[in-house]
Amino acid sequence: MADQLLDVKGLNCPLPILKAKKALKAMPMGATLEVVATDPGSVKDFEAFCRTTGNELIESKAEDKLFTFVIKHTA
Amino acid sequence: MANDPLYILLCSGEHEKIQMAAMMASVGAVSERPVEVFVSMNAVLAFTKGSAPEERYRGGTFSDLLKAKNAPDAMTLFRQGKELGDLKMWACSMALDVQGWELDRLEDDLFDGTLGLTKFLSDAENGQFITL
Repeated sequence: MADQLLDVKGLNCPLPILKAKKALKAMPMGATLEVVATDPGSVKDFEAFCRTTGNELIESKAEDKLFTFVIKHTA
Repeated sequence: MANDPLYILLCSGEHEKIQMAAMMASVGAVSERPVEVFVSMNAVLAFTKGSAPEERYRGGTFSDLLKAKNAPDAMTLFRQGKELGDLKMWACSMALDVQGWELDRLEDDLFDGTLGLTKFLSDAENGQFITL
């Protein structure tokens, strides 16, 4: 169970990433953010976002056109 | 993390190119990448303070689609990039001069000032350069 949930269903690039960044910025280090998206591009986008920002992508899964990511705020 | 700065030279007034510049600038900035945008030529007109979206954004097929699908407003994306990351925006001093405009004719809270092309190109030697 993540510390915070961010629902970005229905939003397209680049809004899921921008909203995730905003949420992470307000969270303490070590806290986890669960993001639920419907944009298929978000899978690779969140991988790249975590790689470049240094945050940790703990989980990435796709189910019934729903994409869920859990990000640990580490940077 | 060390990420090369991104320099975007935006001179087109086409909606599609302004939207792409806003998307690249905001995503780059929130990905811990310093971004600088230099706005010149027809692009300056799209940043006119207080313009309604139908005046601000003129383009082709994708412009119509972006409006119909309520894609995020480019000005909003630029603002979010500035709020969440290291994004600087410069208005071309020449373009403002030929328009007879001061910086206050452009949207508030977006521009860090005016700049000449020589300085922007000089700064851009250290990063990735994109023209739209």
